Amino acid sequence: MTLVKLAGGRIVDPANGRNGDAADLYLRDGVIVPDPGPGAAIDETVDITGKIVMAGAIDIHSHIGGGKINIARMMMIEDHRKHADAGDGLRRSGGGLYTPTTFVTGYRYAAMGYTAAFEPAMVPANARHAHAELADTPMIDKGCYAMLGSDDFLLRMLANGAEQQAINDYVGWMLQATQSVALKVVNPGGINAFKFNARNLGLDTPSPHYGVTPRRIVAALARAVNELGICHPVHLHCNDLGVPGNWETTVGTIDAAEGLPLHLTHLQFHSYGTEGDRKFSSAAAQLAEVINRTPSVSVDIGQIIFGQTVTASGDTMIQYRNHRHAHPKKWMCMDIECDAGCGVVPFRYRDENFVNALQWAIGLELLLLVEDPWRVFLTTDHPNGAPFTVYPHLIRLLMDRGFRRDMLKTINKHAAAASTLGGIEREYSLYEIAILTRAAPARSLGLLDRGHLGVGAVADITVYTERENREAMFARPDYVFKDGRLIARNGEVTDIVWGATHVVRPEFDQGIEGPLEDYFNRFQTVRLGNFRVTDDEMEDEGRSRLVRHPCRRTTP
Amino acid sequence: MSGLALTLRDPPRQRLDLSPLTPDRLAGLDEAAIAAIELISGNQRLRVGDLFAIAIGDPADLSIRNACDKLDFIGRAMTDGTITVEGDAGAYVGLGLRGGRIHVRGGVGPWAGAEMHRGVIEIDGDAGDFTAGAVPGETKGMRGGLVIVRGNAGHRAGDRMRRGILVIEGSVGSHAGSRMIAGTVAVLGAAVGPYPGFGMKRGSLILSSAPERPSPTFADCGAHDLGFLKLLPQAVGDRSSRLAELWAMPPRVRRFAGDLAAGGMGEILIRRI
Ligand SMILES: [Zn+2]
Repeated sequence: MTLVKLAGGRIVDPANGRNGDAADLYLRDGVIVPDPGPGAAIDETVDITGKIVMAGAIDIHSHIGGGKINIARMMMIEDHRKHADAGDGLRRSGGGLYTPTTFVTGYRYAAMGYTAAFEPAMVPANARHAHAELADTPMIDKGCYAMLGSDDFLLRMLANGAEQQAINDYVGWMLQATQSVALKVVNPGGINAFKFNARNLGLDTPSPHYGVTPRRIVAALARAVNELGICHPVHLHCNDLGVPGNWETTVGTIDAAEGLPLHLTHLQFHSYGTEGDRKFSSAAAQLAEVINRTPSVSVDIGQIIFGQTVTASGDTMIQYRNHRHAHPKKWMCMDIECDAGCGVVPFRYRDENFVNALQWAIGLELLLLVEDPWRVFLTTDHPNGAPFTVYPHLIRLLMDRGFRRDMLKTINKHAAAASTLGGIEREYSLYEIAILTRAAPARSLGLLDRGHLGVGAVADITVYTERENREAMFARPDYVFKDGRLIARNGEVTDIVWGATHVVRPEFDQGIEGPLEDYFNRFQTVRLGNFRVTDDEMEDEGRSRLVRHPCRRTTP
Repeated sequence: MSGLALTLRDPPRQRLDLSPLTPDRLAGLDEAAIAAIELISGNQRLRVGDLFAIAIGDPADLSIRNACDKLDFIGRAMTDGTITVEGDAGAYVGLGLRGGRIHVRGGVGPWAGAEMHRGVIEIDGDAGDFTAGAVPGETKGMRGGLVIVRGNAGHRAGDRMRRGILVIEGSVGSHAGSRMIAGTVAVLGAAVGPYPGFGMKRGSLILSSAPERPSPTFADCGAHDLGFLKLLPQAVGDRSSRLAELWAMPPRVRRFAGDLAAGGMGEILIRRI
């Protein structure tokens, strides 16, 4: 019931159109409340005069839990030997730089002012495991995107000409059964095609077993999400990730959604042309142009930052292709319960390498050339492009043209010459950064009371001292509040809290359980009743309070 | 000036990580500074001064006395100098050693000499599993230098070894030289556990006796006089009198090529068959 006053901060809150005006904020019972007026009993006043106040940051795409990231942790055991964090009475021990343990993941996000992160590729069969791991991830809100699009049940339905209504019911059932907040599609149809020995799958190529094209899968799932009224559009990892010339596949995929909302994830990996001596070039300008004139599309970038990391993806087709680049030399690919796949390949991005250097430039070109900050989100596709802890560095690259040009001078000369990055003048403002990292992801995910600082919003708040060096500024916020509680001070965790888990509850016809039950009985290793993750399981430990977001059906 | 001596007062209750105590890291420190060094033991941080009696001396000649098998990471990544361990040592003796010499007068736990690059480790007693091997997750074991075990060694000796020489004067457990990439492992004792050379790509595994159970994926190439074997005692010098004794005899061995399941460029050379 205590009333806390954050006095004198400069409010940067794009969702409410506020750009740095000085004002007080009042917090009570975990939410932002109106000014109680003169004479009200203020229990605590925090003087933040002149400091920058933003909502807690939200990472819309970060692989922080579930099967493949756990395999990555086990495979990259040296990451844990080299980067061990001892417990200190407050924090539990853990470690890992690019495969952080669950607890450390929460601490590191909170320490840099993030209060939510979303696991974007949960294989439905791994849902129970993923939620158990996220229930061990303190400090932040979480949510998962269920991964469909190469699952046998869906492909059977499409091959048999099932009606859209049945597909909607299946998607709705899956999102509910796996306690998800959105739908993810990875290399639509391709993961399944790989199991039948295909090594690539074009947008209009019928897959070898089911004869279904990726275009058909994208269209059906984009429609399902739209008709079920799920706020976040299909979160799509396109076909042909990493393949030179794949930008055309990306453009084709935008067409495949037939004008329905679409989110293209880690776009950097899907923006490659085939020009130049090395037959590898940036198509960022062409793609940004398409995105700028297609308001139904949003993107996140999957920026790479040089150094050792590990790539973990459901895209077994691509991960198998990339295994020969594994560094260090170890990798795995596997099928998971006919749902999808999983591939883990360690990788070191090197600035002296032409391809890696150009990948770095392409990500930044996209971030700077996509004009509408409401439709582009800041991600490294943690850990695929780099661990999430590089975000402050990445923000500096966007906000500081001089710094960006200095960095450009240090990369492979041919890549630097092939990139337009040096000629791009744009510098992000604090207001735009707040859109990219707070307001836009919250709006896209349908988190109405997060990502902004209006009255009634959950009091997830980050307070920074404005510094010329934006990396230093964003790495160590002065104060971080989660649900109104102070959890970090000057970049150090000071209190442990447990965030909520965001889910959607779409309406669907329970009749879908008939054919599903039959499918489970015949092909799966668990029965349908055991597959479903219940609310009680989620909330029993008291660490994953469910926040259910409404769905607005667009058809009866 | 005599060497610096650290005498363990009582065996620690939990395992104790001695990585900070190497001649190069201790150079130039006075007694108070050494006493103040923090060591991790289980979930606690303890100070050297609370665990050891310190007799100040030249840190390039460090002895750890009254040692026991709970002392891990002795000489981790050290570059120079000598460590003498009076007693047993725990796991990871000389992990990632870059130079210098470690002499353990007793036995050691697993992963002695794992991933070492240069330098010499001598173990008077028995060694645990994965001697000169790779710790889990690493793709290369020992990369150079010399390890001598005067007693017996456990399973998987020389696992993923990349270069260097491992001499085991006693017997060895199962899967000696497993997944070897290159390098030399010599076993002088009478007993060799099952499946030596399991998955080896290249390298030489030299055995005095036939293994208890040979791997089926090695091809018998017949008996040979391999003159180069005379070079081995030269490389080891006077550190292994048993090796010198054995190689005074003609260098006749039976050669098995393998592991054919992993390319088959390696070899097992057996002296008595
Ligand atoms: Zn991803």
